[in-house]
Amino acid sequence: MKPGHTTRRDPFTTEVIRNALTAIAEEMSLVIMRSARSPLLREAGDLSSALTDAEGGLIAQGRDIPAHLGIMGSTVQEFLKRVPKEQLQAGDVWFLNLPEVGGNHLPDVKAIRPVFAEGAVQAFAVCLAHWADVGGARPGSYVPDARDAWQEGLRIPPLRVFTKEGTDREKMDVILANVRGSQEREGDILAQMAATRSADARLQELFAAYGAATVQSAIADIHDQSERQMRAAIAAIPDGEYAGEDFLDHDGIGDHPIAVRVRVTIAGDEATFDFSETDDAARGPLNATPFTAGASVFYAMKAIAGPDIQPNAGCGRPLRVITRPGSLVHPPWSRPVVGGNHETSQRMVDAIFRAMEAVVPERLSAGGSTTSGLLLFGGTDPRTGGWTTLYEVHAGGEGARAERDGCPTARPHMSNVMNTPAEMIETFYPIRIERQALRHGSGGAGRHRGGPGQERHYRILASEMAMTSMVERNVIPPYGLQGGAPGKPFEITVERANGERRQISGKTHVTLYQGDCVIMKSSGGGGYGAPPDQARKQEKS
Amino acid sequence: MSAAWQLGIDIGGTFTDVVAVDPAAGSVRMAKVLSQSDPVDGILAACGSVGLELPDVSDIMHGTTMATNAIVEGRLAPIALIATEGFAEVLDIGRQNRRELYKMAMTPRPEPLVPAERRLEVQERIDAQGAAITPLSDEEIARLARDVKAFGVESVAVSLIHSYQNGAHESRIGEGLKGVVPFVALSHQLNPEPREYERTNSTAMNAALMPLVARYLERLVDRIGSRTGLHMFHSAGGMASAASISSRPLALALSGPAAGVAAAASVARRLDLDHVISFDMGGTTTDVSIIVKGKVQIDSNQRMAGYPIRQMMVAVETIGAGGGSIARRDGTAVRVGPDSAGASPGPACYGLGGTQPTVADANIILGYIESGRELGGTVRLDVKKAEQAFAPLADAFGTTIHEAALGVRRVANANMARALRRVTVEHGVDARACTLLAFGGAGPMHAVSLAREFGIRKVVVPRFSSAFSAFGCMTAEMSYAEQRPLHMQSKAWNAANLAATVGAMADRLADPLARVGCDRADQRVAVAGLLRYTGQSDAVEIALAAPYDLKAVDAAFKATHERLYGFATDEAWEVDTLRVTVSSPPKQDLSSLAAPVAGAAPEPVALRKCWFEGNREQDTPYFDRDRLPVDWKVSGPAIIEDAWSTIIVDPGATAWVDAHEHLHIAVEEDRA
Repeated sequence: MKPGHTTRRDPFTTEVIRNALTAIAEEMSLVIMRSARSPLLREAGDLSSALTDAEGGLIAQGRDIPAHLGIMGSTVQEFLKRVPKEQLQAGDVWFLNLPEVGGNHLPDVKAIRPVFAEGAVQAFAVCLAHWADVGGARPGSYVPDARDAWQEGLRIPPLRVFTKEGTDREKMDVILANVRGSQEREGDILAQMAATRSADARLQELFAAYGAATVQSAIADIHDQSERQMRAAIAAIPDGEYAGEDFLDHDGIGDHPIAVRVRVTIAGDEATFDFSETDDAARGPLNATPFTAGASVFYAMKAIAGPDIQPNAGCGRPLRVITRPGSLVHPPWSRPVVGGNHETSQRMVDAIFRAMEAVVPERLSAGGSTTSGLLLFGGTDPRTGGWTTLYEVHAGGEGARAERDGCPTARPHMSNVMNTPAEMIETFYPIRIERQALRHGSGGAGRHRGGPGQERHYRILASEMAMTSMVERNVIPPYGLQGGAPGKPFEITVERANGERRQISGKTHVTLYQGDCVIMKSSGGGGYGAPPDQARKQEKS
Repeated sequence: MSAAWQLGIDIGGTFTDVVAVDPAAGSVRMAKVLSQSDPVDGILAACGSVGLELPDVSDIMHGTTMATNAIVEGRLAPIALIATEGFAEVLDIGRQNRRELYKMAMTPRPEPLVPAERRLEVQERIDAQGAAITPLSDEEIARLARDVKAFGVESVAVSLIHSYQNGAHESRIGEGLKGVVPFVALSHQLNPEPREYERTNSTAMNAALMPLVARYLERLVDRIGSRTGLHMFHSAGGMASAASISSRPLALALSGPAAGVAAAASVARRLDLDHVISFDMGGTTTDVSIIVKGKVQIDSNQRMAGYPIRQMMVAVETIGAGGGSIARRDGTAVRVGPDSAGASPGPACYGLGGTQPTVADANIILGYIESGRELGGTVRLDVKKAEQAFAPLADAFGTTIHEAALGVRRVANANMARALRRVTVEHGVDARACTLLAFGGAGPMHAVSLAREFGIRKVVVPRFSSAFSAFGCMTAEMSYAEQRPLHMQSKAWNAANLAATVGAMADRLADPLARVGCDRADQRVAVAGLLRYTGQSDAVEIALAAPYDLKAVDAAFKATHERLYGFATDEAWEVDTLRVTVSSPPKQDLSSLAAPVAGAAPEPVALRKCWFEGNREQDTPYFDRDRLPVDWKVSGPAIIEDAWSTIIVDPGATAWVDAHEHLHIAVEEDRA
């Protein structure tokens, strides 16, 4: 039977359309992983895909990375403020990375394609990819001591790089002239274009099968369903005001911890997250945009209240986020932000969890390795003479839970990037992996133990490479919960070819030479509940 | 009598199905026997059940769920793992990402296939280009042999870094373990691709299956002798020799389900159906797969029981629900499965000692199967036993026995609807446009009510439905395939070298086909290359043909890349992998073997009371499927039986028989 073209709102049609939209978003991620060039995309999957409605309301997303997914709707909404819909054409693919345009940080470049049907924009396909280099002061575009936004790389306002006629070569060349590894980057840009193109084709099939009106009414239903479920889930949490805080190790320039503070107010079926008491904007690149604050709240509240609710703009309707202009999570646009995206966002999530420990401790995990654990290696590969940038993220131990120990090396909360297999690293970079193993004993003690982190050893084969670290939980370890002990902090050691060893900071850069070895040990998870021996002692006393 | 018969035998958890064909005489026989605890006995019993003895049989095409069940149930042999120094914990570290983004209690990864205390590190190292930068010493090999011996295991997985570029170290370790352990799996032979976590897992899984599968095949070949050919049906829908399966039992991971899906695809092509859901409900599990435009969907990156399996396998969704699934009370609800009464003791109605209520018991209580009916001469169905088993459930819920039986069926159908959802709706396929192709012992008994619940309008119950996987073993094209890394750059194209490599692979593959009487002249050789731009991870499949002209390959690759991704550049590309398939078309179109029954519409063989949804009791005619003529039509309620299965045509549905003896059922809306 062929579905008719009249508007229908039966639950079965809505269910089919809902799943079709999710499948389209997931397929975008597959297309980019298959056709991209840089290992960061094709092996580690540092990318995300989403569909929004014509106004930028998130309707479906892939199984990607919460830090990305939480900002996709904002990106389209802010994009539309700069580029009126009348300017959009079928076949366009717009690229942008400006943090102030609903963004997070410069390396995450978004490709946006308007999807037309029946003569109007019906939806947007958005594909975010982390470029292994976007220019700026240091290879890999992470500048731990950056003082302003311009040191962080090429800033791309909404730019129409593809039209239905094909590539706008002049714009493409401007981009490629400003990034390291231009050949690899061009392949990645084409892959992003290809992902939005596949989404366009699939959406056209959907509009043809059901008619735009039916699809739009199904989308409205999908949003309403998620909103209803989210409201019911919030209503089940006791009303009240709950305060929580967590700390960044430092901002890469100063050496003091920076506080992230939140007040969560649960009132009926709505929740407000007020970050006003968070410290002022950092001098270094640990600032996070208010859009990232929104993404953190979206993640944390879904994880606490409704993990199974379909993630879309409907879930966000009962959530209110307040950020203070001038603060760490609402900085002046001139401030650097590259690390805030994945480090400060995790601190906001942890602060929310610490606040909620008062009411729902049984739902929470103890502190995990809530950092990207990023090491960036850049240099010339002697085998090819070409420029290479290895962007390595490292999972650590999961925090323990009320019912079990933490898992070994897993990526919690806002992050979800995979590791790059040792065999892929050695194939594409002048680096040898000499060891990858669990970091035994690194999980915090407790009634349940935190999961162990891992270690990985990188031997440098090129004559010279630059390395940048962007790591949290290097000073302040992952916290225990309900009396559990913290996990061991992150450790990065540089062992020179002459045997000299030195631990380096989590936010710094060093020059490595042939024969040097970098030993990465990721943090263990925090424990949950007092360890059995301590619990006994307390009973006796 | 000369060996003229070809046998398709599919051994499942509960039943063994057999289809026998004598191509010259145009005869076909079918039977179903209970699976035996020793599958070798099962094969011989299957042979006997169609009135044949081994000397009558030229070839056996064999599918089995042996490996599948061992993986799913965790019945794997204890093994040791040998890894490059510094890499013994690859299995613990995994790839780090999670599937459920917002679930704070992340689902833990399954236990590593090899416990930490049985992993050995070896001093050796191959680099990414295949050079041995740390040599492997004979002393190291001797040490490994001593340590492995001390473990007391029978099977060892060897997975060294970059072995896919240079397998010499793995091979030397394999040699060194000869006489120490009977089974060794080398990763460069099993999965010659980079990515150490996935390759190590696949190799370990293979090693853990070897003792079970290799011993079975050794005994089987021993029993059937060398005059009868043995061909194993593998997970990607083709055949492989017993010898090659003994060293690669992982290729059987989805053997049984793949045979059913292959058969379903052949029916889908014959009936020209665009979207078919194959619905194979057996005693223990139900397998669901989607067939689009007659093509089986292949996925080489699947997980089983949580472990990554790097093998080409048909994409099947399996759930633990079948006719033998046990129903039990869970608070105020009823749960059905995943535990099953299996073949022994079997459902209560078998009278073999089972006392717990099962889905099959519900069906006999509702009148869908005649009490007293014999199955395979060994089992006599007894409705009294089924009712006794259901009484506690009915008492607990304060319902009649019939209401409880209908309820259990509803819950079983809801379980299966979830599997249907995963292969259709979750991929954006509108199930309402699909045809449900139902087979397996219990599939046709549930198909119409399941279709109704799911919004599917059309059900087909194919000929041979109750031994359909065995039929799949017979009708699937006989094909042998091999794939190997090539790494030929477009800049260094060498057509002569490529032709020689293809020729050598084709020669090896042609042999087992020649054994079953397919001359080289009748064989088709298909060559495909997996091509990619240098630096891409995934490759696109391009058909290659002599004389392997660079310009033609270049044009085909770019056109395909443009079609798939919307762009193509003039950069260098490479043929990453070469895949050669040698096949012979099925010799017989089985649907043409037995002439359809002609003649007048048959009388019902019986009229009995059956209970349907809404607790409606209706007089229902029973028909014998073997006596239904082409174009015969009936309106539900009706029950159509063959020797081994029962097709329920629910009230409101209409069934008719087509020229190939497939039964079509229009499901119609019940509510109107």
